[in-house]
Formats: sequence, C-alpha cells, structure tokens
Amino acid sequence: MSTSEALLVPRRERGWRMGLASMLGKELAAWWRTRRGWVQCLMALLVLNGSLALNLNSNKGSTNAVENATTALIITVGLWVPLVAVSLGQDSILGEKHSGTAAWVLSKPLRRPAYVLSKLIADGLGMFVAWAALPGVGVYFQLVGPADGYFTPLRIAGVMGVHYLNLLFFLTLALMLATFFNSRGPVLGISLALAWAGPMPFISDPIQKYASWLYEILPWRLLIDFRSNQALAMYLANGRPLPTVTPIIATALWCVLFTAVAIWRMSREEF
Amino acid sequence: MSTSTSPVIETHGLAKTYKGVQALKPLDLQVQPNSICGFLGPNGAGKTTTIKLLLGLARPSGGAGKVFGLDIVKENDQIRRRVGYLSQDPRYYEYMTARQTLRFTASFFYEGPRAAIEQRVAETLDLVGLADKADRPVKGFSGGEKQRLGIAQAQVNYPDLLILDEPAASLDPQGRHDVLDVMERLRKHTTIFYSTHILDDVQRVSDTVIILNRGELVTQGPIEDVLAWGQTVSFTLTVKGDSMGVEARLRSQPWVTGLEEMSRNGRVSWRIQVSDREQAENELVSLALAGGGVTICEFGCRTQNLEDVFLNIVKESNHEYK
Repeated sequence: MSTSEALLVPRRERGWRMGLASMLGKELAAWWRTRRGWVQCLMALLVLNGSLALNLNSNKGSTNAVENATTALIITVGLWVPLVAVSLGQDSILGEKHSGTAAWVLSKPLRRPAYVLSKLIADGLGMFVAWAALPGVGVYFQLVGPADGYFTPLRIAGVMGVHYLNLLFFLTLALMLATFFNSRGPVLGISLALAWAGPMPFISDPIQKYASWLYEILPWRLLIDFRSNQALAMYLANGRPLPTVTPIIATALWCVLFTAVAIWRMSREEF
Repeated sequence: MSTSTSPVIETHGLAKTYKGVQALKPLDLQVQPNSICGFLGPNGAGKTTTIKLLLGLARPSGGAGKVFGLDIVKENDQIRRRVGYLSQDPRYYEYMTARQTLRFTASFFYEGPRAAIEQRVAETLDLVGLADKADRPVKGFSGGEKQRLGIAQAQVNYPDLLILDEPAASLDPQGRHDVLDVMERLRKHTTIFYSTHILDDVQRVSDTVIILNRGELVTQGPIEDVLAWGQTVSFTLTVKGDSMGVEARLRSQPWVTGLEEMSRNGRVSWRIQVSDREQAENELVSLALAGGGVTICEFGCRTQNLEDVFLNIVKESNHEYK
C-alpha cells in the first residue's frame, strides 16, 4: 500500500445515494464552472426581461401598457420557455447515452437513481436560478415603476413559482422520455405536443369538449388560458385568490411520477 | 488488495441474449488472483458482452457470475468499488481536463483528504505519462492520449481487479509498449483481465489466456498450456531455382505432414509440418539440394506462437460450428 493510499478515506455511501455527491458535484460544476450557467442566465434575461422591456416600451402611453406587457410575458413563459427545459432535460441523459459517458460513470460506484437525481437536481437548480429567480428579480424592478407598486414581490414570486413548476414538469418529462428513447425526435415531439396542446386553440377545442378534466390535471392552466382567461398565473399576478389548486398539486405529482419512472427505467437500461 | 486464492472472476453458465440473438453462450470461466489474463476472440465473440455483464452494465439472461466472490447482479455496487475499468472506446466529459477527469473519478471512491487525492491524481498522471498534459481539456486529446487517460482513470482507485477492453487498440507501437509496461508494474498489486486483438502483447505479458469464439468458450488456461495446444513441429525453407523438384521430393516423404507454399520475388518458401523433428533436421536440406539447380536461401525450425494457436483454435471451432 502506498503512502497516498493509506491516507485516502474511502467513501461509505450506501444504497441509492451511492455516488450522488460526486455526480451532483460534477453536474453543478458543469452548470456554474463552464459557460452553460451564464449562457442560460443571459438567454433568460434577453428572452424574458428583454421582451418585457420591449412590450413596455411599445405600449408606452397606453392605459393597458402594464397589463398587456405582463400578459405577453406570461404567454412567452408558458409557450417558449418549456423548450429550454426539454432541451436541457433530454441532453442531460440522451447526450450521455450517445457519447458513452453514461456507461463510463455507471461503471464506477454510482447507483442509477443517484445518476438520474443528480441530473434533476443540478438542472432544476440551474433553471431555477437562470429562468425563474434572476429574471423574476428583473421583472419586479422593471414593473415597480410603471405599475406603481401594484406587483408586489410576493405576486411576482407567485407567478415565477408556477412558471418554475411548469418548467420542472417539462424537465422531468424530458428526463423520463430520454431514458426510454435513444433519439431526440420522440422526446422533443412528445414534450412539445404536451406543452402546446393545452394553450393552442385548434387543439384545445376538442380537448375542452371531450376531456376538459385534463386541464385540471396537466400544467396547461398554470400560465395560459386563451379561452376563459382563467390562468392561475394571472390570479397570482393580481393578488386574487386562486379558483383551484388542483393543477398545481397535480403538476407537482407528475414531476414526482416522471422522476420515479425515469429512475425505474434507467435502472433497467443496458449499455 | 486481494490476498485470497479463490478466483477473482468466476462464472457458471453466464449467458446473454440480445433480442433473440445469443451474444454469449453459457460461459464458465475463472480468473485467478494477481494474474494477467488475456481475453481473446474475433470481433463479435462476446468479449465486451462478458465484461459488461461483470460490471453490471448489462444483465445476464442466464447463469451466474461472481467477482471477488460477490454476485455480479445482486452485489454489483460492492464489485464496482474494487474494480477499475477501461472501455473499448473510452469517452470522457470533453470540457474537463485530464486532471479534472481523474479527480472526478477519484471522487467516486474517496471523500478526502484533498491533498491525498491530488497526490494520487498526480501519481496516476505520471504513471501513464500525461503529467505534462494534465491541465489540457480532454477535447484536444489524441486517441492514444485518451487511451492513456483511460488507463489512468481505471486504476486511480488502486483496484483489486483491472478490466481493460482493448487497452492498446488505438496506440502506436511506443504507446503499446508503455501500456504493457504499466500492466507489468501493476501485476503485483492487482489482477488484470483484458481483451485484445494484439496477440504478441498477450504472449508477452499474460499468465493465462481465455479464448472465446461465436459467444462460446473455446479454451482457457495458462499461456504455456495454450501454446502447447495441438503443437506440431514446422520448418521454413526458402529456395531459388527448381522449386517444383524440391516440392515433389518433400511431398514424397512420409514424415512430411503438411506443406504450405508462398512465392515471393522469384523465391519459393514453404512452411513444412513434420511428424519427426530429428529426421527433418537431418534430411530436409539434403533433400532440397538432391536434384541440383537449387539454392537454399533460408532454412529454420519455426516455433508455434500464440497467433498460430489462436488461428488454429478459432478455425477448428468454426469448423465444428458448421
């Protein structure tokens, strides 16, 4: 035994946590010690705060300037930002399956639940900072003047909270789909179909007619509701009591279910 | 470090089927501690499949396997704590440097202290000759450098068993030589189980050999025993001139059991298999010169090497398969 071997303290993690600390450390470093985190922050600021600034500027003088700008912001957040979550989620696992790095790290003392959870925690945290917290602070300062203090920090936090829950839904969905498929097409297709089916009137009409209960159990009503303007984000933005919390609870449960299925599927994956 | 004398790797009827295709037929193999075991077979023989089964990267369709006496399915976590693995086509996170890659690998095995981990990383980089490239991103590494990094990451944890899948595949002759040197140095600390196509390397460093063909075990044992497999004495004879006459005289001898001819640059060479070595040594040259008009350019006894044995074993195994 060499001197350094004698000094080294072996890891003693057991069960599903085996390898979690190492893998999570690596995932967090990939977010914040490479360009990825800063690029995401910059993109979020440009897309969310930039579009809000443009809308506020173009509606200047109008009585509905703030209302129009915040509605446009919430629609952007509901329609386009899930794309980022899906892209990050699928890349996390599919990218590693394709490159062979997944097989490499899984040949080390790393349990598969820890592998999936490290991706989820790091991406979830990264998206929270880049796409919810940071732009949320920006939105507050952008609106505090024009809205004359109408949008309190709590209201903004409420809107960004449901926005983040929506992102988490698509992140966990993409992670789960990436454990089932080996190409990006189905992961992207299924996720986007789910993201856009609810808000798009030409698809939502038959859903409203034949399966309106889907709006209660999927995240569609969290941010956008073109038909009845009952999106929960608008209630939160205006400080009104929520008509229902079922979509919030259901979305959170979906996130847990998707994660559980991703772990189960990953545990059966062969390399 | 393992001190037990029970096999490090032991499988009983270990089998794997992918979508109805049997990639590995029931396999019984044993690898003894502190040995270097060469795992040979043509492409698609089932070598990588066996390695993946041992590491828990694939699930067996049948049979059982043990590494350090631990079940490869139920106790794989404990196995992976004591194994170092280099895959056939090693891939790493390209944004990481070699040092970061080794630090990351070491973090799966050790929680500290930081200085000792750094020392181990530095030792490992030195061992594979990557110390001067330690802080360059892996993205810019050549195939050979990635292979060296692969060997480094496989043994950063002082493994009791090193599993190397084609460790010298993408290396130049110097790189191959270095890898074999590293393996020789590690022999006293660990058991090495490695697959390769480079039979010269196997003959140079291995104690035991396992040969697989079409997903089936063909032979296993100490390298001396395998080299003695179907051993026949053969001679090489190269002549210039009347080769037809020489060939006719050779074929007429009862102790000549086989004759393979190769012509090159106006010269004719034969590989002559004989049943009586002494007689051949005494008579082959005079027999060749007997008719006149012939010059002998080369003559010698040819020792069977691992490549001959491997090719013969695989040929025979394919013949039985048909």
